Amino acid sequence: MAVSSQPPRSRLGRYEAFWGYLFIAAPLLGFIIFAAGPLVASLVLSFTDYDILTPPRWVGTQNWQEILGLTVVTLPQQVDDESGEFLFRCGRETVLQSEIADYEGRVDERTRQVMTCAPLLVRATDVLPDGYAPWFDVELSGTRYLVGARDAILWEGLFNTVFLLLAIPISLALALILALALNQQIAGKNLFRVVYYLPTILPLAAIALVWLWIYNPDFGLLNYLLREAGFTSLGRTNWLQDREAVKPALILMGVWSGLGYQMLIYLAGIQGVPRQLYEAAEIDGAGWWAKFWNVTWPALTPTTFFLLITSMIAGFQNFLQPYIMTSGGPGNASRTVVMTIYDNAFRDLQMGYASAQAWMLGTIIIAITVVNFLLARRWVFYEGEGLS
Amino acid sequence: MENVSRIEAPPVAQVRQHRFHRREQIVGRVLAYVILILGAFAMLLPLFWMLSTSLKPERGVFTMPPQWIPDPIILDNYTEVWQRTDLARGFFNSTFIALTTTIGEILVSTLAGFAFARMLFPGRKYFFGLLLVTMMIPGVVTMIPAFILFRLLGWIDTWLPLIVPLLFGTAFAIFLSRQYFSSLPRELEDAAKVDGCNYWQIYWYIFMPNAKPIIATLFVLGVIARWNDFLGPLIYLRSVENFTIPLMLIRLNSVYALRWPLLMAGSVIAVVPVIVVFILLQRYFVESVAITGIKG
Repeated sequence: MAVSSQPPRSRLGRYEAFWGYLFIAAPLLGFIIFAAGPLVASLVLSFTDYDILTPPRWVGTQNWQEILGLTVVTLPQQVDDESGEFLFRCGRETVLQSEIADYEGRVDERTRQVMTCAPLLVRATDVLPDGYAPWFDVELSGTRYLVGARDAILWEGLFNTVFLLLAIPISLALALILALALNQQIAGKNLFRVVYYLPTILPLAAIALVWLWIYNPDFGLLNYLLREAGFTSLGRTNWLQDREAVKPALILMGVWSGLGYQMLIYLAGIQGVPRQLYEAAEIDGAGWWAKFWNVTWPALTPTTFFLLITSMIAGFQNFLQPYIMTSGGPGNASRTVVMTIYDNAFRDLQMGYASAQAWMLGTIIIAITVVNFLLARRWVFYEGEGLS
Repeated sequence: MENVSRIEAPPVAQVRQHRFHRREQIVGRVLAYVILILGAFAMLLPLFWMLSTSLKPERGVFTMPPQWIPDPIILDNYTEVWQRTDLARGFFNSTFIALTTTIGEILVSTLAGFAFARMLFPGRKYFFGLLLVTMMIPGVVTMIPAFILFRLLGWIDTWLPLIVPLLFGTAFAIFLSRQYFSSLPRELEDAAKVDGCNYWQIYWYIFMPNAKPIIATLFVLGVIARWNDFLGPLIYLRSVENFTIPLMLIRLNSVYALRWPLLMAGSVIAVVPVIVVFILLQRYFVESVAITGIKG
């Protein structure tokens, strides 16, 4: 309804304003106590050292230096002190460069495997400055670079969190296919909708227990089905205890439990595409792919955009699933940023440091939202803009 | 130019194209069924596996190949998990928390939504925008100060940190109810004003009885969200007798590790209320998700 934004002056207007403020008083108070207040408080806390038991102590930017402390060093090859030759690792032996020929290609008597030789690199701890731990290393044009971080666990968590975001494109693609299928004239539409949507509303704790059981290496459903399908070695994987397998396992479960929601939103988007566009395309003789690519997909970009942003915001705060399923393990292979924040805050009572980490994550989330919005101008078509 | 040539195309080609579209439609429909049925199978498999396991005897799960339909079907796991563990306690705790928070949230939020939709006061748009901003604040940023606040109040290991914040209403519910109230016809309150109703009476006697769809929607979304909530209880609750059902389940997993039939029976018990609420009020739920595009 149309209302003027002029402040009401009459007695009746003041009466209405009084009731209006009364009705919104509780939510506004809640906004201050539970949103604005904590938002500012955690920013202030991020510059303190606070263990709850003793009063907070101002430490300036120390927490932030710790969090953002990154460094890059090269990892040179180790050199033998006496001969000055480069050292290599062949099987389990450390070998001089001139002796490689004696080892390369021979069979190791203990392991019975053919030996290969690789340069022996300096240990990470010898080249990193004090207080830094190795995060990851990468080879660029022959040189091995090592990236170290003062808070390597946090950065590894960030990497894991981003890796787990791979679930988003996978489930968006599947959700779109399902929504397109569901948009056909088919029987049992409502039943399909319920079936697909169901996993998204179930309590994650219960779902996690079910998937723990499914991923059981010996008697779990997944390995049984894999072995039946002929993937004998894959069917012996210990999904949640294997560094390589744990992330795909979490992604699979995440896709399963989030798919229905995205499908439902896509379906609503598809049903909102103006019918005339298809009719026009059909007159032009467009086949199903041409119709999809030139009509449906451009018309759905706002939907895709919305799903992408909301899933990324949720994905960066991924916590429960790895917390329940793996506690971040094996090693730190499935530890997410929020798990690190949670442990620092509520297990180690480092409230100040954890607040800084939380603000760092919050900043990343907001930055990604903004970047998404900026990029959206290039590829999102809103209706009425003309689909050129 | 292209349009002209289309119009002049001989009728034979049009008929052929028509046939082509018919065939395409049928192929599309068959393909849709295949995709949907395969997908539905994959979606239901874990849930079926949960149910199937929960009805098996303890040793029945360690056989290969696994039994799809348990033989014999037994209910012992359900009686054991309900009577011998604290799960029932968690069930009632969760029920109490979910109902009180949701009812409180609905009352406070619809009242504010009514004010934002139907009343005039300076700064109305500004305050509404402010509330919408809260929806965008990542929860992880406010989590720590909230904990410190509740600790100062001595509320750790009580349900108060889980209940009280919601009694101030939620931005999401205010947003939804404002949208709904804005869509109702103007005559509703005009008649009431002539009759001398005050604003509270207009809200309570005129608008609320007309708001059943939105109340039902908020109820489903609220109850399910609180029932499933894990992080809040994990942070604030310490003693087992206060645990909600998700915490109880995770505790069971550490106490009765590898007793899969028992754990699956517990999971089924935690899942069933959600499914019941969802199926009963599914119409409102699906509509709201489709309309707002926001997850509860």
